[in-house]
Amino acid sequence: MVAQEPKPEFADLVEAHAREIHAFVWRLLREDAEAEDVLQSAFLRALRAYDRLPRGANYRAWLYKIAGNEARTQLAKRARRPAALPEDFPALAPSVEHQAEQRMRLGEVAQAVEGLPHKQRSSLILRNYQGLSYAEIGEILELSPEAARANVYQALRKLRDRFVTGPAAPSARSRVEERVR
Amino acid sequence: MKTEAELEQVLDQLYAAGPPRVAADQAVSRLREQVAGRQPQLWYGSLADSAVGALLVAVSSQGVVAVDFGDNEARFVDRLRQAFGVRPDRSVERAGPAIRQLDEYVQGKRSTFDLPVDLEACSDFQRRVLEAAVAVPRGRLATYGEIAVRIGAPRAARAVGQALARNPVPIIVPCHRVVAADGSLTGYSGGSGVDTKAKLLRLEGAAIA
Repeated sequence: MVAQEPKPEFADLVEAHAREIHAFVWRLLREDAEAEDVLQSAFLRALRAYDRLPRGANYRAWLYKIAGNEARTQLAKRARRPAALPEDFPALAPSVEHQAEQRMRLGEVAQAVEGLPHKQRSSLILRNYQGLSYAEIGEILELSPEAARANVYQALRKLRDRFVTGPAAPSARSRVEERVR
Repeated sequence: MKTEAELEQVLDQLYAAGPPRVAADQAVSRLREQVAGRQPQLWYGSLADSAVGALLVAVSSQGVVAVDFGDNEARFVDRLRQAFGVRPDRSVERAGPAIRQLDEYVQGKRSTFDLPVDLEACSDFQRRVLEAAVAVPRGRLATYGEIAVRIGAPRAARAVGQALARNPVPIIVPCHRVVAADGSLTGYSGGSGVDTKAKLLRLEGAAIA
């Protein structure tokens, strides 16, 4: 019988995954203090459940799942509060008016992302900004890889329908959808 | 926004950079402290040769968490890691009192244990069963069915047997005092099995065949 890999110590999981999970919850919440709280409550919840998790489990996906759910709860709490405006983004527009307009637009888009269904929002961020594969996203959100892909597509389509005012791209597949691969 | 390229640019502005480095460093280092503060600390030690063979003993800050027959230290450590998610450290100082008392007990030099037991990792049901086993006086026997009645689950004799078979702290929690309905010493997974069970019971002066 081949000995199975022993279960890692929980502290090792913190070292291996906390930074990545923090980036994920921060992207969902876009607020430093809330992201820190959510990271902490997610890992402490995981710690309490850790002895019931079988060895050989996908620890990373399991942590992502717990953290995603904690962030979702946090987002529900602030459902009616506007998303924080990004203060510290480099100004791209030449004039003060343009800068203000751009800031407002960033806020609107952030809020629209926040308003997406949990699976769409998470899929979009996991795929495009956390760099996960559809198979990995599927494992976290309990979806097939195809469904994970469909969720990214739907998220982008909603945002495009809402914000892009110009004529549809001439090609059959739009630029934003192109990225969903 | 006129084009999708602009939308893409806005999304990237919002999400590409991720959290500010300072915020991430702070969140992770505070998490590290929180986790370290909440994890149980475990220590263990061994007794190479006792009246019932080699023993391994682990304690937390709350009490004894595990007693194992045998000297397979690697397996013992691995089992504790599985159960608690933390690696126990060898510590004669921490595990010493429990080891001494066990040694004295199996030599017949001590009749009771003066040690806290930490059953935090057990289910509620198992804890109730183990507490009922502790209540069986030295030199006496109880049946699985009687324990089931005592914990208010009269039909659970079989589950009681299983809970006792998984007793994490044998000898100290005297699961050896619990026998089958016909008085036979069935099922003891520690040491040399039923022989060890009989040895412990004789040591305690129980009337057994």
